[in-house]
Amino acid sequence: MTVHNIRVGESKRGDASDGGADAVGGRLSRVDGPAKITGAAKYAVEQQLDGLAYAVLVESTIASGKVRSIDTSVAEAAPGVLKVLTPDIIISLRTASDWFGTPPPDAPYCPLARDVTFSGQHVAAVVAETFEQAVAAAALVEVSYYETPAIVDLSDAKAGDGIPIDAMTKEWGDAQAAFASAPVRICAAYNTPREYQAPMEPHGLIAHWEGDKLTVWEPSQWLDGMARTYAEWFDVPFENVRLVSPYIGGGFGSKALALSHGAVAASAAKMLGRPVRLVMTRPQTFTGYGGRAATRQTVTIGADRQGKIQSIVHRGINETSIDGMWVEPLGSVTSIMYATPNFSSKQNVVRVNSVVPGAMRAPGENPSAFGIESAIDELAYEVGIDPLEIRLRNYAEQDPEAKKAWSTRQLREAFAAGAERFGWAKRTPEPRSMRDGNQLIGWGVAAGTYPVRRAYGEAIVRILADGSVEVESSSIDMGQGTYTILAQTAAETVGVPADNVVVKLGDSRFPRAGVAGGSRLAGVMTGAVYKAATSALDQLVGLAISDPRSPFHALQANTLVVANGRISSPRGDGPDLSIAELLSSVGRDHIEATGDTMPANSTAQDRYKNYTTIAMAVPHTEGDYSRHSWCAHFIEVRVDEDFGTVRVSRVVSALDSGRLYNPKLAESQWKGGIIMGIGQALLEEGIVDRRHGRIVNNNLADYLVPTNADIPDIEVISVGIPDLHSSVLGGKGVGELAIVGVAPAIANAVFHATGKRVRDLPITLEKLI
Amino acid sequence: MTSQTKTTIPVHLDINGHRHTLQLEPRVTLLDALRDRLGLTGTKKGCDHGQCGACTVHVDGERVLACLTLAAQVEGRTVTTIEGLAREGELHPVQAAFLEQDAFQCGYCTPGQIMSAVACIREGHAGSDEEIREYMAGNLCRCGAYPHIVAAVRQAALEVQS
Repeated sequence: MTVHNIRVGESKRGDASDGGADAVGGRLSRVDGPAKITGAAKYAVEQQLDGLAYAVLVESTIASGKVRSIDTSVAEAAPGVLKVLTPDIIISLRTASDWFGTPPPDAPYCPLARDVTFSGQHVAAVVAETFEQAVAAAALVEVSYYETPAIVDLSDAKAGDGIPIDAMTKEWGDAQAAFASAPVRICAAYNTPREYQAPMEPHGLIAHWEGDKLTVWEPSQWLDGMARTYAEWFDVPFENVRLVSPYIGGGFGSKALALSHGAVAASAAKMLGRPVRLVMTRPQTFTGYGGRAATRQTVTIGADRQGKIQSIVHRGINETSIDGMWVEPLGSVTSIMYATPNFSSKQNVVRVNSVVPGAMRAPGENPSAFGIESAIDELAYEVGIDPLEIRLRNYAEQDPEAKKAWSTRQLREAFAAGAERFGWAKRTPEPRSMRDGNQLIGWGVAAGTYPVRRAYGEAIVRILADGSVEVESSSIDMGQGTYTILAQTAAETVGVPADNVVVKLGDSRFPRAGVAGGSRLAGVMTGAVYKAATSALDQLVGLAISDPRSPFHALQANTLVVANGRISSPRGDGPDLSIAELLSSVGRDHIEATGDTMPANSTAQDRYKNYTTIAMAVPHTEGDYSRHSWCAHFIEVRVDEDFGTVRVSRVVSALDSGRLYNPKLAESQWKGGIIMGIGQALLEEGIVDRRHGRIVNNNLADYLVPTNADIPDIEVISVGIPDLHSSVLGGKGVGELAIVGVAPAIANAVFHATGKRVRDLPITLEKLI
Repeated sequence: MTSQTKTTIPVHLDINGHRHTLQLEPRVTLLDALRDRLGLTGTKKGCDHGQCGACTVHVDGERVLACLTLAAQVEGRTVTTIEGLAREGELHPVQAAFLEQDAFQCGYCTPGQIMSAVACIREGHAGSDEEIREYMAGNLCRCGAYPHIVAAVRQAALEVQS
């Protein structure tokens, strides 16, 4: 991070209600905040480079077929045009390995398509001296096609039943037999549409070659993973690729991988010998990479008359692309939320003419929870039990799937705290029983969960001559607060104010980090910084005690105390020096320590694999425990009786993310997840033009995301306790958790308000009137 | 881009109290002029279609979407961007409130939100939370900082008025 010369008043730095804002667990304001509120924060594609050329993509207008010809002559003659790239006019690349590191086929890779498998696929690109010239010339590229019939979506008659994914099968007991003999049986189908991450910063990059060294300024959730892909595409050593991503304007899962537009831009830069900037238009962001796959689930529950579950049978499908594979694990919450003696879950994927879907906030858990958390509500009404009570009756005291103890599960506490704060006891159970004038009022509850994904990280901590501390890591901050919590970790561990810590992230030259995805980065990186900072502190104290030039040398002390940037004896005798004074006395200009959380004896290959693939992620059920974050959402909706419009009027959510490294920032992330969940429940849906297999609402006016006017005040309550089985400092995941369970809580509230059960997201007015 | 060609015109811009003369094609938007020609990248491009509000700047004190405004349209008018809001290193009350209330995460919509908020208060549309939500509804935030944005605008409105 750059240093910001903006004065921030003491009250703006945060508050010390949690034991000091500077320490881990304190409510320190974002340390990257001053840069972001003044416009000084330079995002990746905002780097100003001499000789920069501008690229604009041309996309397919059919969903299936082949490119017959591309006429570039008019575009090439347009003012300022430097190059038009087509599948025939582009340098040859090699296929890269996938994110597991699976060796790729020895085949060339072309990021511009000859064979078209979805509408919006990149088929050409125009590079010009100015952005305006490139935009104008891109419209002059004439592409003709041989078109073949497309499978437009899951409901297409040509789609079929899909491919069974055996790895998704989970079974224990005899679910079918138990269901058949259960006194109470419910069965329903739940659908979720295509949804899009829609980060405010569009995807894009600047690619710049110097000889066989490539620098890429690109918003990235995973610098080392993307650097690996670029290196493999262009057949250069990994070390030759530098990814720079100081700030990321939102990702939500969509910015973790190098994508074909990146290959186009880097190819153009190499062909032209100039830096090239390519930024997707907003419509291109709907097809240039995948959003959340559309899903279908059937949830069947057999129970006794007291609502105790005896069997769950779950079947799911999600869409994937014609030539890519995306599995959205739909049984992930179904299998662990409730104690059930008999269980069966299976999943297929169905190929459609779409871009390959991708990760979007809580992939798997999110749609999975919409199924099971709606179904349990249906069961509650079937047996006449309060929806909160039925969840407690079926509370899973251990992981029903892994048959292991939970590391921590504060879900009962979440239900209790949320219900109390929301006033759940005042709810009348009958649908349509609460109203305010013309508005039907509904109260719904649902739970959510997300596994604790773990990996390893590495960081450098330096104590500099002026007593300040510097942290370096190739991890990133897309708004989760990495800059801030790593400053707090280093400040607390070394014993300096957070103001004296500078955190540098977002450069693949720094010590390595894995993906910022699956809510794992905070746990991984606080652990690595803690380790590096502890080692730096040990060196500092060691020097102070043992260096003959140190004023502490004569004390013969076993240890010294470093606090607030000063070193002293714990007994209070002897000198009291600033860190700068001590370093000066022993003639050192800095102390440096690298820390990582990799297993001992890890080889260089292990490290490369850990930081550039997800193959070494530690299973959340490793060892004796099953590790997850948990939450409970209590939501009030108001439904206009005449028009069927649904407004969310009140949200209280209680969440267990373990220990919070910075509650102020964690609360923001939780609320953000809840708000995205409100969008999912009521607004968000990619709409396909069935004639052309095209997403027609591919912009921010037609793909509706929540606006400020859609969102009420939201109350979040932390019920977590430190979970040292999950991370070095006791945190679990924060970022994905809060969206899980929001959509079913709203659907359940809508049922309570109206008596109508909507099982097909989003819940729009035509489904209610 | 400073040399005159057949297709460019001279455009005089007054931005954050500084005068700039650029040779621009008439089709260049104020947003691209700020970001690509002047290096004032605090104003963000989120959609380029007037749908998201990330490019909100002030022209003669009123909020305007820089992506839907041609640079040549603002000749002779006063443009203020996020970079011009803090005076002599002192944060504007809206900026300070955004930091204190944690009214952003990724920060990409933030300059537009702040420029909108300053104008929203000046317009007299920050009288209640409901009014703030309505008059800030043109600025999308995908991280979902809305409740904190409302809190920040409410806090700043009180400070500005006092």
